[in-house]
Amino acid sequence: MIEFAMDITLVISLLWLAWLLLAAQDMFKAIILFIIFGLFMALVWARLNAPDVALAEAAIGSGLSGALLLASLRRSGESGAGNEQRAGGLEPGSGITPGSATLNITHRLLTVLIIGLAGTLVWAAWVMPPQHSGLTEQVTARMQRSGVSNPVTAVLLNFRGYDTLLEIGVLLLALICVRSLGALPQFLTLRPPGMVLMAFTRLLVPFMVLVAGYLLWAGAHAPGGAFQGGAVLAAAGVLLLLADIGLLQSCPERLLRALAALGFTVFLLVASMMLQASGQILNYTPARAGAWILLIESAALISIALILVLLFSGGRFEKGRVPAQERDPVQ
Amino acid sequence: MSLILTVPWMAWSILLPLGGAVATFLSRRYASRLTLLFGMATAVCVGALGWQLALKGPQRHHIGGWQVPVGIDLYADGLAVLMLAVTALVGLLISFYATAYFPKAGQEETGDQNVASSVYFWPLWLFLWGALNALFLSADLFNIYVTLELLGLSAVALSGLSGKAEALSAAMRYLFVSMIGSLSYLLGVALLYNMYGVLDLGLLASEVRPGPTSQAALALITVGLALKTALFPFHFWLPPAHANAPAPVSALLSALVVKASFYLLLRLWLGVFPTVINTTAVDLLGFLGALAIIWGSIQAFRQRRLKLLVAYSTVAQLGYLFLVFPLVLRGGDFTAWGGSAYLAVSHAFAKASIFLASGIIMHVAGHDRIDELAGIGQRLPVTMFALALAGVSLLGLPPSGGFIAKWMLLNAALITGQWWLVAVIILGGLLAAGYVFRMLAHSFTPATWISFEQPVARRMEWSAFALAAVAIALGLVAEPPLTLLQSSTSFAGPGLREMIP
Repeated sequence: MIEFAMDITLVISLLWLAWLLLAAQDMFKAIILFIIFGLFMALVWARLNAPDVALAEAAIGSGLSGALLLASLRRSGESGAGNEQRAGGLEPGSGITPGSATLNITHRLLTVLIIGLAGTLVWAAWVMPPQHSGLTEQVTARMQRSGVSNPVTAVLLNFRGYDTLLEIGVLLLALICVRSLGALPQFLTLRPPGMVLMAFTRLLVPFMVLVAGYLLWAGAHAPGGAFQGGAVLAAAGVLLLLADIGLLQSCPERLLRALAALGFTVFLLVASMMLQASGQILNYTPARAGAWILLIESAALISIALILVLLFSGGRFEKGRVPAQERDPVQ
Repeated sequence: MSLILTVPWMAWSILLPLGGAVATFLSRRYASRLTLLFGMATAVCVGALGWQLALKGPQRHHIGGWQVPVGIDLYADGLAVLMLAVTALVGLLISFYATAYFPKAGQEETGDQNVASSVYFWPLWLFLWGALNALFLSADLFNIYVTLELLGLSAVALSGLSGKAEALSAAMRYLFVSMIGSLSYLLGVALLYNMYGVLDLGLLASEVRPGPTSQAALALITVGLALKTALFPFHFWLPPAHANAPAPVSALLSALVVKASFYLLLRLWLGVFPTVINTTAVDLLGFLGALAIIWGSIQAFRQRRLKLLVAYSTVAQLGYLFLVFPLVLRGGDFTAWGGSAYLAVSHAFAKASIFLASGIIMHVAGHDRIDELAGIGQRLPVTMFALALAGVSLLGLPPSGGFIAKWMLLNAALITGQWWLVAVIILGGLLAAGYVFRMLAHSFTPATWISFEQPVARRMEWSAFALAAVAIALGLVAEPPLTLLQSSTSFAGPGLREMIP
């Protein structure tokens, strides 16, 4: 009964938060609501017995996405005026853009489409026959040969490792996409960070690195893994940036690129080696599977964390500012 | 010989372009050369895979050594290999063109968008290539979603590469459309997995039963993929996105990217869900296709800019592809789906050639306003010849790939007695004649003085010409590709022939 009440409360809060979020006029408020929404969503995943998803949702869906949105808001707020001027200076008809009439039609079309999709979905869920058990049994039967004892890791890195290989590729691709857009307006102002932030960062970052390492290691037998660990490590990186400790900025560009590509490269190389040796992509022998998975996850952890931090700071680390030591109030 | 038979070529044809993407991301100085190198290696793999197929029939690859339903399978049949081969050939020629189109990149970031686009074109394009190959070979519903994500993201970034305001806003819209499409597809997949507990296309085909859940799932998947294929009325994003991109990117998007989501529709409707679809659904798709042909052609004819004209022509030509559904369901068989696939192939070559040629014209003339291009034919004879040849294929005049394809579609419409489709196909041809001649007429007008002085690299002209030549050659030697297509089987095992009532 208590569980039922909890579930109902969760569902109602989710819907309420979603509505508040969509109705919010103030962008800042909407982002804060989005972060809270993500945390509630993580609770829902936990209630659905999916602790791995809950961890990822809390760390990435709520934490890092929230930070990313806040950073974007700050950037667009600072550069908005300049952009408008530039847009106003464009000659009418100088580019190939559809007129406002087309845009209006587009919006209406999309609205109809989305309502249609939602309707279809509700209807389909309504008439859906009792649930299929999925592939749980088959996965359980093969756990012995997977090299790990956490079924989620077994599916992500072994049974469906190919999906994950491509997903790590998507992450690297996202970084390239952001970089291809050119330089973004600077996010961090020259104002030095507060003492509390700096002191806390120094205290927290070593622990976060430790937690990230633990999550990575734990992924073999318990909820955790490269994505969750990477998210925690990325949060540490974001703190470093905010506290203006120049550790990340001092990293040379070539090394940054190499580290960002490390996870995908190692994954691809392992896949190719297996393909060469056994004729099948990612065919680990059961005895070695655990070690290979750990290798891939370690490399992926670094790249995931670095790419997330880079996305937060606009694809590149901002350089050419006053080194932190020269105006460090702590030292 | 044993090498051909035993090496898992299809797996290599996915891993190689992805490896190339990483290499070109890391080494900017050699990016263009590395692209050609990895591209040629990929093309060799695709060729060897075709050979393997000819000797042993359709191939399956069990990734990780696991079997379905737990693992993921790759699957190659005639249709998949033909798409891989088109991607490889079109892709190589476009890469060759791009080596001259983009300025050489230095190691340092200068903030100049021209340099940025030339730095990031190579890794983005190789990611796109890897995504296309992975998509064509995938036999797993969820894995297809991942490939769609890779494909969509790289296509969006490529379309905004010029950094101009119009290009960026078009890319933004493309991103939203692509994401809504992916989401809709994913919802469909979730419904299907919940109902049947499998993701492999072959297993799904044997288990799927008609019913509201299956229909809803197929509807969600179809809407998602139709958005990505720019089927009328979801075409609104395509003309600005394709027309504002750099020429090699426009060519890639129009020739290959929109074909990928159509390929999935063809596979899923005819190979996996033939028991779920009904006449209303296929007629709706066919009707939208017909509207796309007419609307797209009229819009193409009305454009004042060459690249927009070509982009609207893509909308129209994509419409033809969707005629396959009413044609096949009413007994059109290979004449119908083979014709549609062949149209996708020949359009890929013709359209890539036209976009590359437009890129050359823009480079030389500094603009692409059709009415002010008089005399350009005297300045760029090879380019204009390529444009004319590709136009022939677009029109469906003999001898060209477009002719064979449209002839097959016309035949299928006659066999199945669907006269309205006969009328649409003929009307579409006439309208196409209108805009192709409009595209060419001014350019061939002789001018007493020629103001186009910009030098142009030979390899750009010859790449465009080679693509057009292939579009024509597809009409002269149609036997091998059609035989390859005919060897296609659905994922379930029996040929499409037996699946369709």
